[in-house]
Amino acid sequence: MKALKVQNISFSYDTTDIIKNVTFSSEKGEFLGIIGPNGAGKSTMLRILCGILEPQRGNVFILNENIKDINQKSRAQKISFVPQETHFALNFLVEDVVLLGRYPYLSAFQRERKEDTEAVEHALAYANVMEFRKRPINSLSSGERQRVVLARALAQQPKILLLDEPTSHLDLHHQYAIMQLLKKLNAEGLSVVTVNHDLNLASLYCQRLLLMYEGTIYSEGTPQSLINNENLKHVYKTDVKIIKHPLKDVPQIFLHPEGE
Amino acid sequence: MNKQLLIILIFLGAVLVSIIVGPAQLTSEIFQLRISRVVLGIFAGGMLAFCGGILQGLFGNPLVEPYTLGSASGAALGGSIGILIFGTINPVFAFLGSLGVGFFVFTIARIEGGLFRDRLILAGVVMSFLCSSLVMITMLMGGRELYEILYLLMGYLGIIINSTNRIMIIVLIAVSIGLMVFLYRYHRELDIISQGIETAAGLGINIQKLSITIFLATSLLIGLIVSIVGAIGFVGLVIPHISKLLFGPKHLRNLPASFILGATFLLLADTASRVITVYELPVGVVTSLVGVPFFIYLYRR
Repeated sequence: MKALKVQNISFSYDTTDIIKNVTFSSEKGEFLGIIGPNGAGKSTMLRILCGILEPQRGNVFILNENIKDINQKSRAQKISFVPQETHFALNFLVEDVVLLGRYPYLSAFQRERKEDTEAVEHALAYANVMEFRKRPINSLSSGERQRVVLARALAQQPKILLLDEPTSHLDLHHQYAIMQLLKKLNAEGLSVVTVNHDLNLASLYCQRLLLMYEGTIYSEGTPQSLINNENLKHVYKTDVKIIKHPLKDVPQIFLHPEGE
Repeated sequence: MNKQLLIILIFLGAVLVSIIVGPAQLTSEIFQLRISRVVLGIFAGGMLAFCGGILQGLFGNPLVEPYTLGSASGAALGGSIGILIFGTINPVFAFLGSLGVGFFVFTIARIEGGLFRDRLILAGVVMSFLCSSLVMITMLMGGRELYEILYLLMGYLGIIINSTNRIMIIVLIAVSIGLMVFLYRYHRELDIISQGIETAAGLGINIQKLSITIFLATSLLIGLIVSIVGAIGFVGLVIPHISKLLFGPKHLRNLPASFILGATFLLLADTASRVITVYELPVGVVTSLVGVPFFIYLYRR
């Protein structure tokens, strides 16, 4: 079964075309990476996939259901979205932030049930934020906060997880922690789609990549087949040196400073 | 002692104080008058603070207050025109004014689409300015009526409830309570919106629909309040902050607390307005005079 199917999607802000007639799909259980230069339409694509933005043309199918035919709460039970950065205007406790991930399952005056608190416990443990649960969210570092947001997304118990540059602004330790967590979740059957600026991380963790360029998909395939000098030169206008990762059969990219 | 119990006790104390304390002897007539004042005080103070909490949550903006959306200015304008015509405050005129201006704000915010929520503040503020200018004109045109208009703008709980307006006021309060319960439904949505529009959309909240619903319900509610007691300031802006300081960011808890705190605060301010001077001050003057130092004290702690 396809986790996601996108057919002839077009999207524009006012008169600027951001996404131009894009078609692709992702198998259930896949770890898909969307890469490409700034302004290629990656983040817009992600927002269309989870229904935050509505495309002017085309169709999106989540687990074989057209997104237009699903109500918003049941959509949020299937797919959850982790924004690049979350600003917390109110200083909730960490566990209360994660509990809000249960919103799609609750009606207005319904109190949280046993299954909701269980889902929260599970998510806190998974995202490794159990120790912070009683702390106010704004007392955490940005890396810790990102893990809490991930925990909130997991409390939604989605089948598909979408992440917009989950590791930007994070140090090496937190980058690694997030990517390893995604890998583990994926191994347990969760479909993961992540927009990533770090090509080396994408190459290392994603099973398949979409290379977006000027609102279209320039190329798609495994990291081995897609990350090559020709593609990168065309899309990023940059000469790079590509070599194989010393421990894994995936390409890694190196810049070489000019004049040396 | 637990905080919920404490604020309820303070609230009951405030009710008692505002019935007993005053320049006049507590005869049965005075008692009746004071009771109706207490009812109006709880209604207005509680609702304004509650609406303030709802709107600050929806807009994610701590400076938004019930009057930002323009319906209060509309009520003030409608009320002022009513005073010019009838010589006394006419709630029906005030309410029509609030509906009219609310409709304009709604229409302006809808022009060209985009996110309704973000255009609403600007539309509300612009219409409020327009209404203020028009109210100034009514004040210039009025002679004796100037005084009445001033009380409408500042807020005054001393309207006399008699057999002709009793039913209307009871109906209005009942409608307001209904609207408040309806708005309270959205406590979880407001929690989520404080974490960003995209988070909210991702969790399945339709922001556009929610903003319109909350706008309509709060505008109606605020229009009702201002039509009856005038545009009492400060309560709707600051009480929600105090409520969040005391009861945390969850709207499930801080919205009811806002209601209780707002009611308590307005009752005490109204009592003060009767006691401080020989003239009865408009309660809106007292709310700011007492409230601002108190708020600064609390914020510094």
